Order: sequence, then C-alpha cells, then structure tokens
Amino acid sequence: MKPPRENIYFVDGLPVPETPQPGEKPAPWRQTRVIGKARPRVDAYERVSGTAVYPSDVILPKMLYGAILRCPHPHAKVRRVDLTAATRLPGVHAAISGDSLKVNPEWEYRTFGGPTVKSLLFDPHCRHEGEVVAAVAAETPYLARDALAGIQVDYDVLPFVTDEQQALAPDAPVIHGDSNRVGPPQVYQRGDVAKGFGEADVVLTETYHTACELHTPMELHGCVAEWDGDRLTIWESTQGVFAVQSGVAKALGLPLSKVRIIGRYMGGGFGSKLVAGKYTVIAAILARQIGRPVKLVLSREETYLAVGNRPPNHMALKAGVKKDGRLTALDFTGTGSGGAYPAGGTSLLDWQVRDLYTCPNVRCETTDVYIHAGPARPFRAPGHPQGSWALEQMMDALAHAIKMDPVQLRLKNIPAFSQARDGQPPYTTTGFAACLQEGAKAFDWQQARLKPARGKADEVWLRGVGMAGASWFLGAGFGPATVVLRVFADGSVNLNMGAADIGTGTKTVMAMVVAEELGIKSDMIQIEHADTGSTQFSGPSGGSKTVPTDAPAARAAAVAVKRQLLAMAAVQLEEKAKRLTIRDGRIHSTGASDKAVGIAELKELKRQGVIVGVGQKGPRPEGKVVVPFAAQFCEVAVNRHTGELKIVRFLGANDSGRVMSRLTYDNQVYGGITMGIGFGTTEKRYLDHGQTGKLVNRNWHDYKLPTALDVPVDMTSLPIEMPDDQANIVGAKGLGEPVTIPTAAAIANAVFHATGIRVTTTPINPVQLSRLLAQHRKKE
Amino acid sequence: MLPDFAYTRPTSIKEAVKALSAANARVHAGGTDLLGCLRDEIFSVDILVSLGRLDSLRGIRQTADGGLRIGALTTIADVAENLLIQKHYTALAQAAGEVASPQLRNQGTIGGNLCQKPRCWYYRGEFHCLRKGGDMCYAADGQSQFHCLFGSGDICYIVHPSDTAPALIALGAKVRIAGKRRQKTVPVEKFFVLPEDDVQTETILAAEEIVTEIILPPPPANLKSRYRKVRARRSWDFALSGAALALQFDDSDVVRRARVVLSGVAPIPWRAPAVETVLTGQALTPAVIARAANAAVENAEPLAQNEYKVPLLRGMLKEELGAFG
Repeated sequence: MKPPRENIYFVDGLPVPETPQPGEKPAPWRQTRVIGKARPRVDAYERVSGTAVYPSDVILPKMLYGAILRCPHPHAKVRRVDLTAATRLPGVHAAISGDSLKVNPEWEYRTFGGPTVKSLLFDPHCRHEGEVVAAVAAETPYLARDALAGIQVDYDVLPFVTDEQQALAPDAPVIHGDSNRVGPPQVYQRGDVAKGFGEADVVLTETYHTACELHTPMELHGCVAEWDGDRLTIWESTQGVFAVQSGVAKALGLPLSKVRIIGRYMGGGFGSKLVAGKYTVIAAILARQIGRPVKLVLSREETYLAVGNRPPNHMALKAGVKKDGRLTALDFTGTGSGGAYPAGGTSLLDWQVRDLYTCPNVRCETTDVYIHAGPARPFRAPGHPQGSWALEQMMDALAHAIKMDPVQLRLKNIPAFSQARDGQPPYTTTGFAACLQEGAKAFDWQQARLKPARGKADEVWLRGVGMAGASWFLGAGFGPATVVLRVFADGSVNLNMGAADIGTGTKTVMAMVVAEELGIKSDMIQIEHADTGSTQFSGPSGGSKTVPTDAPAARAAAVAVKRQLLAMAAVQLEEKAKRLTIRDGRIHSTGASDKAVGIAELKELKRQGVIVGVGQKGPRPEGKVVVPFAAQFCEVAVNRHTGELKIVRFLGANDSGRVMSRLTYDNQVYGGITMGIGFGTTEKRYLDHGQTGKLVNRNWHDYKLPTALDVPVDMTSLPIEMPDDQANIVGAKGLGEPVTIPTAAAIANAVFHATGIRVTTTPINPVQLSRLLAQHRKKE
Repeated sequence: MLPDFAYTRPTSIKEAVKALSAANARVHAGGTDLLGCLRDEIFSVDILVSLGRLDSLRGIRQTADGGLRIGALTTIADVAENLLIQKHYTALAQAAGEVASPQLRNQGTIGGNLCQKPRCWYYRGEFHCLRKGGDMCYAADGQSQFHCLFGSGDICYIVHPSDTAPALIALGAKVRIAGKRRQKTVPVEKFFVLPEDDVQTETILAAEEIVTEIILPPPPANLKSRYRKVRARRSWDFALSGAALALQFDDSDVVRRARVVLSGVAPIPWRAPAVETVLTGQALTPAVIARAANAAVENAEPLAQNEYKVPLLRGMLKEELGAFG
C-alpha cells in the first residue's frame, strides 16, 4: 500500500539541497542556555505597541484602492459585463473584467493525488457565490465600492447544489464534467476487516458529522501591488512569500526575479494564506494598467465566501475490540466537499484511523464531491480534527463498552511504527504513551473520572471529563529552506530567512537558535525575513513545518559562521580551533590557557567586514518517520435543563520533540485548544440550501467564533520533552497542528461522561444539547 | 462601508424631532446597531440625527412616587451597574448585563436597545425579504435555526433581539416618546409591532419620533425578578431563548402576581399569559413549576430547524423558576 501522496503543503520528491557539512554533523544540544527558555518574543513590543506595519497598514504615495465585484449566485454564467458607468465615475481609474483584459490568466485548482481543474482569473462560468466577475481601482475605498455598484452584469442563473450529501444524487446539477465526484473513491486497506470483526468481543458502529468551518485569520486577506518599470513588488498578508511569488509570476508570465513579495508582519494564517489569491493578481493587473500602486484588501464577507474553509465531512466508523482492549478492526467511510473545485474535501480525513492506533485490519474509503460553494483550503491539520472527531469518540465508546478506562484502552494500542506508510517505518521517537500517562497524571484523570458521572438529581450543572489522543501526519518539516547569517565587524548578526512568522513566534525561535549556537545575546541579532527580494527560499509556513525546517537551517548557518569565527580566533590567539568556544560574545580557550578574544576584536573579521554562513535544511531521516503526538484532557459542565456547555479546564500534553521556546510553545497549545473549541462547540457555515444557495452567516455575529468566555481560564500546556536527534539537528518536531486535533473529540467525550449523550455532530451547543437532553429524559 | 449621508447634532428634543421630519432621516444614539445596518445596506439614510448633545436624555433618576426614570441615552453598562436597578428591578440589571459584550454595553443605549432591528440572517443579508419590502420570507423554508416559535402570523419569523425589553415589560415599564405633538407615554408592552400588523416595522415609533426615557413604576413589596438568557456562545450573542420573570409573593411564598416575558422566541418580546395563570395563586412547588414550563410552549409553532427551542424554553423556565427562593 502506497502512502498518501496528497501532501497539501509541498510537492513530494523535489530534490532538497543538503546541508553542507565539511566537518561532522553538529552534535545535538545537551545543556542549553537559550533554547527551551521562556523568552519574550523578539518583536513583542512592535506588535503590542502597534508600530509593526502589516500589509493592511501599508500606504504608498499615489496609492489607489481596488475592489472586486463578485458573483451573487452559487451557479451562473456571465453573459455580459458592462463597465461603462463605472469607468465614467470621477476618481475611478480602472475597471476590468475577463473580456476587457488582453490576457485573462489561467487559474488552476488541484488536490494532491486528485485532478487538476483549469479555470480563469475571471471565469465567466461562476461555480460558487463570491467568484470574481470584475474589479476596479479608485482614489478611495468608497469610490471603489461606488464603481462596483455601477457595473452592470447579465447572468444566466443556473441550477445549483450546495449540500454535499445531495451532490451525488442522480438529478443534482453537475459542477465539472459528468459527475460530482472529484475522483474515484480513495481506498486504503490492510489486513482483513471481516476477519478482524470476527475476532472482536465488541463491535460498534456510529456515524459522525463535522460542520464546515470558515477561515478567520485576524488580518484580512489582501495586498498592495506596485510596479517599478517591469518589476513588481507586492506587500501581501501571507504564510509564504515564495509561494505567492511563483503564483503571481505564473499568472502574469513574469520571471520570478521580477516579482518581489514582502510579507514581514502578517496577522495570522491557518492554511488559507499559503498561495497567491486572485485578489493578488488582480491588484497587480490594476496597478500595471494605471501605473499607480493599488491596495486590495478583502472584506470579511468576501473572505468567508472565497478564501477557504475546513470541508464539511460525513463519516461512518465500525470498530472491533477485544475485552483486553486490543483493537481488531476499523472500517471507515468518509465523504466531504472542498467546494466547487478540487480542494481536498477528504484530504487526510482517514489518517488518524489508519495510523494512530495499532490495528491489524483497517479499511478506509473516502469520497470527495463537488458542490457550488467556495473552495476549501488547508485548515490547521487538514482532515485530522474531523477524523479525530470520529475515531476518538469511537475509542471512548469502545472503552465504555468493555468497561475499560479510556486512557488505558489507548495505551493498549500504541504503535511503535507507522502502519499506514509504505514499508511501515518506525517512528524516530514516540511520546504518545507519555502524553497519555503524564497528561492523565497532571490532569488528575483518575480522580476526576471517579466523580459521580451524572451528578445528583437536583444539580443543574452536570460535570464530566473526557480525553482524546492524536498524531499529526507531518512532523519532520520539509525543505528546501536556506538561511543566511552575516556577522558584522562589531559581532552583531543578521539572520536572513525566507520563512514567514505567521504569529507563531518563528522569528523568536530562530533568534534563539542562533543565540544558542553562537553564544551571543539575542538582541545582537537582527532578522530579515519573508521577502523574496532579499531573503532566501523557504516554503510557506504551514504543515507545522517552520521550526523543524528553518530552525535546522538556521543552526547550520550558525555552525558555518562559527567555524569561520573560530578559525580566525585560532590564528589570532595561536590556539587550536577545536579548543575554542564562544560565550557571551567572546571566544575563549577551553584548554589550560586563559586566551580569549571578543568577536568584535577579531582582526580578520575587521579586515573582511563580514562573515557569511549559509545553512540549509538537511534531509529527513531515512527509513524512519518523524511524527508528533498529543493527548488532551478536559472537564466540562452541561446545564441539564438548557444544554448550555461550559468548558471548565483543559490540558494539552504534546510530544513535539525538543521545546525550542517555552512561551511560544505554550501559546501554540492554548491557541490550538481555543481553535478546537471553536470547531467543536461554536463554528458552522450555513448555506441556504434549496432556496438561494447563498452563505447566510457571513459576519461575526452569525458565524460564531469562540469568545474569551467560551475558553477556560484554566488551561495547561504540558510538554513531553523528548529531543528527537534523528529528526533534524535541533531535535524538534512540528507543533502547530497536533495541538488542535483532539480538542473537539475530547469535549464530546467529556459531554458523554457528563450526560450519557453521544453528540456526533459539531458544534456541540445548546441548539443540539437541549434537544438531545430532552430525548434522553424521555428514554430514561 | 457606509453610504453617503448628512449629519446633524441638534441641541434640543424639539430640534431633533424637526430634523427627523426630513425625508429618510434616522436617529443616531449609540450607533452599535445603526452602523451595522448602514454598512450592510439594510436601509439607506439621507440624514442622520445625532442625539449626542441631548444631555437631558442621559442618566437614571428616582421619581417622586418612588419609581425610576432612565434617560434613553443611558448606556446599557450604566443600567447593568446601577445599584437601585440591581436591587429593585433585578431582572432589568441582569438583562442589561447579558447584552452583547462589555464594549457594546459601554456604547449601546437603553433607548437603542428597544429600537433594534432584527438579526435574522436573511434580513441582514443580501435577501430581498418581506421585511425589506420584498415578496417572500426566506426563513419559512430556509435556515431557521434561530427563528421564532410564536407570533410569526406565518408572515415573518424574526425574533426580537432585545434583552432589556422583556425585563422592562415584566416590570411594567413605560416608554416616553417625543414627537411632533406633545410627548406621549406608552407601556413598553405596547411599543412593539407584530408582523401581522406591519411586517416592515418593529416599533410604533413614527419616523420623527424619539424615545426619550423609560419609566419604571415603584417596585411593589415582595417583588422578585430575574432575567435568564441562553445563547449559542457565552458572550456577544443574542438569545436562543430567554425569559424575564417578575413575581410578587405574599408572606407565605404564594405568587400573588406574575409577569413572564420571553425573549428570542417571537418577533416581539413575548408575554406568556398561560404561564402567569399557572403561577398565580400558587407556591413554586416542583409540580407548579413543571406545569408552568409546559404552559410556556403550549402553542409553539416550530419551523423545520428550531424545534430545539421548545425543550430549551421549557428547561430554562424550569431552572429559572426553581431558582426563586
């Protein structure tokens, strides 16, 4: 069985430049002075004080404002676009549509392992509400909106299907080709599930649904585009400047060197800012046509329609277990929709079922369908929280059925190798058992579990605890990534890397790596990053890749620089280089002599003016796989009368290898749990199925993100620190995604513990619980 | 983005009424609802009349008879935090405290809270619905999870968004209105308009009229009142369903008078006389509470997706009535 090739963040098999290693591979850090410590972010002051300039803040001389006219129908063909009235408005400098352009660039959608569908930047066949139809640029945002109102569009409004469960009905309108299946069903199989169910003492079957979640980064999607002759510069709120560069260059037929993307500060991205947007290319076209910079920032409503979501999924899981807790078989089917284009409606949906627990007999079948709705995009751990919602609730139900503690059941099924990958490679490290055991201990699971499950009859709030485990598909990061370090004559350092800091603290971690390796203070380090014009290539910050990819490159660059510094010092001090070490900005002899010289006093450094060190991401370990693990525990209270849910406390235990920066590590855990609370208890996209097909909840009242009161004050991050020396030269695995995978299932399991009700559909809120509690009372 | 409009800041109520008599004029008080409506193009406006300079409309004062006057521009936060209101009109303080978020409570006014536009996502979205002069209600066969159980008249299924209005009605409050002629005073209960009477308006206010103050009667002896709100998330959200309860007890804990007004379940704050009847003359025993809770949902007419509001309303009332003591 081949492993899934549907990697969302990178193309597998690209040659990755190796770390140049003239000497031996740097040894793993043992004692660290900086790494792992709780240090404030290097840019905390700038971010908090508001002096940090985000792409949305950029204002250039003579800048105009762009806006996009979007199709109001879920399915329509544009017959005619009349731009006349819009272009006549004073202050409006350009209005464009597919017909008005000499070249209407091609726009491609694909899923990895699935088909590629070619569309156009302005595609007259609009397959989802919010598809772009025309665009304008004007002196003010208000004028731009007025201009949009002046554009006349004749549509042929066509039949649509927006419900993924109706998309395969024989009479459903077809989105592409002759079927709404994105491709043939994806089937994975190992062992023999029928045999496995035969061996089971208990077999359970359940269906699960997860609602579509809309991407809501704090900073809206948008950019500012400016031309200088034939050179294009774009300030873009993005997770990956190089990915945007290649997207824009391709769309406009430009060499990469002519496209500079700058994305230094950016206000969050969870997978929806991995690539160039249509708006990016449109801003560039408008700016070129007019000869003035154009800013184009979407409204929140536009982002909800057009820049991605976590697909809605429907799942069925049949599971067999022996009385001793060993799983015998898992049979999973899942459907989902990534919207109107190939966008991964079932990507990695079954991965947790395939690989998290030891199970000899597994069958998974997934079917991705098209609907007339905005295309999905990767959303923090694509597929995983949905699959976890099914698998981890099933594990809880199995434990209940065989009267075993849910933690114990999981401990009975901990794999030492990846069962679902080609060749079944061992994990470099696995802290899954430790996450479960240490997490349970820190949570006081045994005690919490013993409390009367349903509370006393007169208690309004029913208390319960629940837990869930998780692994994340990509722990090793992925190259290529190049980091360049420059040491100036005064010993200060410039760290130059292409990676975006999407709010996770990438800059802080990289500065800590360099400070650790070079023995200098981090305030001596200046970071240049996320700029295709002046920094080095790195893939977008997604897939929990940045620390395990760019930190090893940063360390390699620091090692390269260190080698040169020590060689210079060796000459100057007449001491062997291997006897020298750097501490607090000075190079000391470790031998008997007390020879020492400050970096700034190195004569050769003064003569050269600069030392340059280049580091690259090394290869992934051969024959092994790098996987982060997690377990989460929570306590909830459910109002027996109203179904209101309070999440009382949460604990996240994570094995992501070495803890690089304690504060940003903990922030990932808290943020991941918060996002998981949204997925599990508040967020849901509503489409007006059967009437207009339009998105009905497109503001922050109707699309409900969790508020501060929905998230417990009592949250604990428990790192299970196991430096993974085989993973890479810093020993860290990815963290940003595993932290959000088990959250919703843990809440559902706690709700079951509190009420005896298994909530199989997200979000768990009073809308569902008030009804389920009433049904439950009737049954009792 | 807001439409183009003129803006005026009169210094007297008379001037304000005059300014509002112009074509397509609207009041700007706290603005928390108005700005959203304008941005979402729910209605247009040619002139906005700010009440910001009408200082006489601010503040909470005791009346000669021992009641309370709350100026219409008093913020929701000030209502929630007022000690007299907390003590004598508990339901109102609780309702105000449940409104939106701290930021919005600091900006929104009590007058504006009564004059809110509904939050139906069809009304607020790109749908030309009945309430906006269109020819159909999209909620009837559409996404109706957050719509009403009572009072639709099979015309329009909005729920009234106010938390304070049910509390004010339960407490017997009146609203004072300034208009072209002299001021008039109307019970808050008579302030709201059902779809069957006019589907395009929510209150009895004429275009040029302004709510100037709320008048609360002196609190009767042994009055206990509460407001309870259930919402889909725990802050910054409107009621899935709510209830304002004002009960007068006698010395042996028997309910002498009851006023029960529901929120989140009807196009107007919904008085529940059937519940009041069950409670009146009874002590709040579990059996009475159960009967009262059942009475609340007797004539409920749920749509395809809001059936949950029936057990929710019943459960909430059960809990709330059980909490009187």
